[in-house]
Amino acid sequence: MTWHLDSALTQGYVEGSLSGARAASVEAHLLACEQCRESVAAEVPATRLASVWVGVQNAVDAPRASWVERLLGRIGVQPEEARLLAAAPSLRISWLLSICVVMGFVGAAPLSPDRSTLGFLVLAPLIPVLGVACAYGRGVDPTYEMTRATPYPAGRLLLLRAAAVLVASIAVMVPLGFVLSRGWQPLGWLLPSLALVGVTLVAARWLELPVAGAAVVGSYLLVVVAVVADRQDITWIFSGTFQLVWLAAAVGCAVFVTSSPAYRAAFRRTS
Amino acid sequence: MTETVVVTDVTKRFARTQALDGVSFALSSGVTGFLGPNGAGKTTLLRMLATVLAPDQGSLRVLGRDPSSAADRTAIRRHLGYLPQEPGFQRGFSVFDFIDYVAILKELAPARSRHDEVRRVIDQVDLTTVSGKRVRALSGGMRRRVALAAALLGDPGFLVLDEPTAGLDPEQRLRFRELVSRAGEGRTVVLSTHQTEDVAALCHDVVVLHEGRVRFQGSPQQLAALAHDRVWSSDTRDHGARVAWRGGDGMYRNLGDPPSGASLVAPTLEDGYLLLVGHGEQVAA
Repeated sequence: MTWHLDSALTQGYVEGSLSGARAASVEAHLLACEQCRESVAAEVPATRLASVWVGVQNAVDAPRASWVERLLGRIGVQPEEARLLAAAPSLRISWLLSICVVMGFVGAAPLSPDRSTLGFLVLAPLIPVLGVACAYGRGVDPTYEMTRATPYPAGRLLLLRAAAVLVASIAVMVPLGFVLSRGWQPLGWLLPSLALVGVTLVAARWLELPVAGAAVVGSYLLVVVAVVADRQDITWIFSGTFQLVWLAAAVGCAVFVTSSPAYRAAFRRTS
Repeated sequence: MTETVVVTDVTKRFARTQALDGVSFALSSGVTGFLGPNGAGKTTLLRMLATVLAPDQGSLRVLGRDPSSAADRTAIRRHLGYLPQEPGFQRGFSVFDFIDYVAILKELAPARSRHDEVRRVIDQVDLTTVSGKRVRALSGGMRRRVALAAALLGDPGFLVLDEPTAGLDPEQRLRFRELVSRAGEGRTVVLSTHQTEDVAALCHDVVVLHEGRVRFQGSPQQLAALAHDRVWSSDTRDHGARVAWRGGDGMYRNLGDPPSGASLVAPTLEDGYLLLVGHGEQVAA
């Protein structure tokens, strides 16, 4: 080693007052010179060293945001709430892919085009309901027991996750509807789906969310089976007139949920 | 001493099982151990103390508040650390991710000080070297320590630990005892366990539950004293004993009503516990 840092250079480097090129030159030298590293270390204030170390730790330890968290962040959701939402089992990419696969099989079933489209229409409203039912609750969220013992409002977590899953399910199902329904009522499932999700959230006021979802799915399937067994035309529940009934049910449920004291309290944040 | 937990005549039934049947007790700060065989009602009771389960009848007061009121429940949860019997973990989360996730639910903010707190509890349970590893890739004992770290977040004034030493090796158990005894200074810690050694080493107060009822509450010394003059040693199994087993020294330790001339020995906490909950069957050597 032909040269070492003098005291002015050491002080300038420690204070961060050197130019970029000069600081880079000092750093290159420090990498190779133990003697100068020791002299620099002796000059660095302990508080600055601690804050640099914390910064390094934060950069290394900071949880890596999943694609869902990044997406939620882009639409303005706070990182903390994005993390709580992204932990919903039905917001995983595997869940969304499985929707595509299942509905793809329904659409590609060796049936007549009308029957295959009808199969899609009948099953499509259940996809968002199942997603919402699996978003939060005992048996579907592995940390449910621990979550319940924290001050974070359970109703808030339930509704935020339900909204996120509903939006994600619709975003996946709408394009599928246009591809698989062969131009016949590609969005006919949407209002029934919103109404069924609404009924699920209303029922979740008294039941566990997964239980509420299962009850709604079971009831809907019973009605469908009863109509089909009676040799009635199931398409009437997707007809223009009946869509108004679904719309009224969806709005009614939304009004109930938004005016429910329990849900409102969950969104009234306290310190 | 101020009572921090008061349980009055609490009952809980699951279908045909009477999990708790008129349970009453009061606790003050310090470490209290709940002992009892499987199905005694320990987990049900701890879930109630952790505000995740409501009683069918009876009342609880935790930290001076009533968990049946939503506002009080939230206030209790702000001072609560809870380790469930079977903690679950989000798939794909690292140790740091998981504890940070719980820290968000505990409303610790802002992010930088929350991360500092996460690092602190990870260090407390000695998991710093694996903080970046996926929780599901860790051993059972390590996962338990991850959940314990999550319970310690925010330095809670009330810790509820359901079988915290299950799956820990002897060295980890010693470290855990040190951790809990420190946590018990000025705070209320309740833990359930099958390990009478943990209770003897840690707890100033013991509650023995059996078939949904409180069978004993007092100090570990008082529990041991229940077996005073009822433990004797012999070189063959005494068939008159309620419970008997052969120790490492080849001698039989017998519990029950000793025959005349029996060689009485000093009782332990385990002897007192076994006499309380034993059914009279003999423990095989």
